Amino acid sequence: MMMQRTTLLLPMAVEATNVAQQQRGMATLKHISMRLKSVKNIQKITQSMKMVSAAKYSRAERDLKAARPYGIGAQQFFEKTELQADGATEPKKLLIAVTSDRGLCGAVHTGVARLIRGELQKDDTNTMVFCVGDKSRAILSRLYGKNILMVANEVGRLPPTFLDASKIAHEVLTAGYDYTEGKIVYNQFKSVVSYKCSTLPIYSGPTVEKSEKLSVYDSLDSDVVKSYLEFSLASLIFYTMKEGACSEQSSRMTAMDNASKNAGEMIEKLTLTFNRTRQAVITRELIEIISGAAALT
Amino acid sequence: MTNAWRAAGLTYIQYSNIAARVLRDALRADLRAEAAKRNETHVKFTPWVNGRPAPRQAESA
Repeated sequence: MMMQRTTLLLPMAVEATNVAQQQRGMATLKHISMRLKSVKNIQKITQSMKMVSAAKYSRAERDLKAARPYGIGAQQFFEKTELQADGATEPKKLLIAVTSDRGLCGAVHTGVARLIRGELQKDDTNTMVFCVGDKSRAILSRLYGKNILMVANEVGRLPPTFLDASKIAHEVLTAGYDYTEGKIVYNQFKSVVSYKCSTLPIYSGPTVEKSEKLSVYDSLDSDVVKSYLEFSLASLIFYTMKEGACSEQSSRMTAMDNASKNAGEMIEKLTLTFNRTRQAVITRELIEIISGAAALT
Repeated sequence: MTNAWRAAGLTYIQYSNIAARVLRDALRADLRAEAAKRNETHVKFTPWVNGRPAPRQAESA
C-alpha cells in the first residue's frame, strides 16, 4: 500500500517539476538566443569601428609626421633661450588640456585629465584650465569646475586643422586671463600601441623678454617677440592636437580590437550554453515521450 | 615699429590666417579645392565662469 502511494506520487511530482523546468528551459533558450544575437551585433559594430579608426589612424599618422616640425621648431626657441618660469610671487598658471569630444578610446582622455587633476590637487589657486574637447571638460568639471577658463568643443570629429589650432590659440590669448606660465597637456604618440601623457611649457611675453639668453637672437624687439609667441602658441597647439588625434585613433583601434575579442569570447560561451540547453530540452522531451509510451503498455 | 595690423587690433595669428586665406584663394582652381579643405574650422568656444558655462557677452567678429 505504502509502495503504491509513493509510486503514484513520484511521477506526479516529477511531472510538475518537468513542466516548470520545461517552461524555464524554453524561456532560457529564447533568452540565450536573444542575448547571442545582441552580442553578435555588438561585435559587428566594434569591428567596423576598428576598421574606421584604423583608416583614420593611418591618416592621422601621416598628418602627424608633417606636423612634427611645427612643434619641434617652436620648442627650439624655448630651449635656445633657456627660458625659466620666473619665480613671480603670484604665478598665474594656465593648463591647456588637449583632448577631443569622442570617447570609446581607452584611457587617452583620462590620462590627460588625471595629470591636470594632480596639478590642481597641489595648488588650485591661480590656476586655470583651458579644455580642448568635451571629454576633459566632462572629467574636470565635477571637481574643478571653478578652474575651467573656457571649453572648446567640436574637436575630433575631423582631423585638426591649423585654423582650428589658431582659433584656440587666439581664444587663449584673448580670454582675459594673463598667465605668467603655462603648460599644454597632451598625449604624445609613441607607436601604434603606446602613447605618453606629456606636457609642453608655454611662456608669456614678459617672461620671455626678461630672459638673459634672448640675445642669442639678433634684432628682436618686443613686437617681434609678441608676434612670434602668438604664432608659436598656435603651432604648439596644432602640433599637440595632431599628436593627441593620432594617439586617440591608435588607442581606439586597440580598444575596439579588445572589445571585438571579448565579444567573440562571449559569443563562444553563449553558443555553448545555447547548444547545451537545446540538447537538454530535446533529451527531456524524448524521455517524456518514451516514458509516456512505456506507461501505456 | 608697430605694424598696421597690430594697430588695427589683430593678433599675429589672425593676421597670418588672413594672409593664408588670400593665398589659398589665389591658387589655381584644381589646387584650390584641396587647399580649401584646410581652411575650415568647426571648433566652438564656451567661456566658463565659476564652474558654469557662461554665455559670451559680446560676440567678437
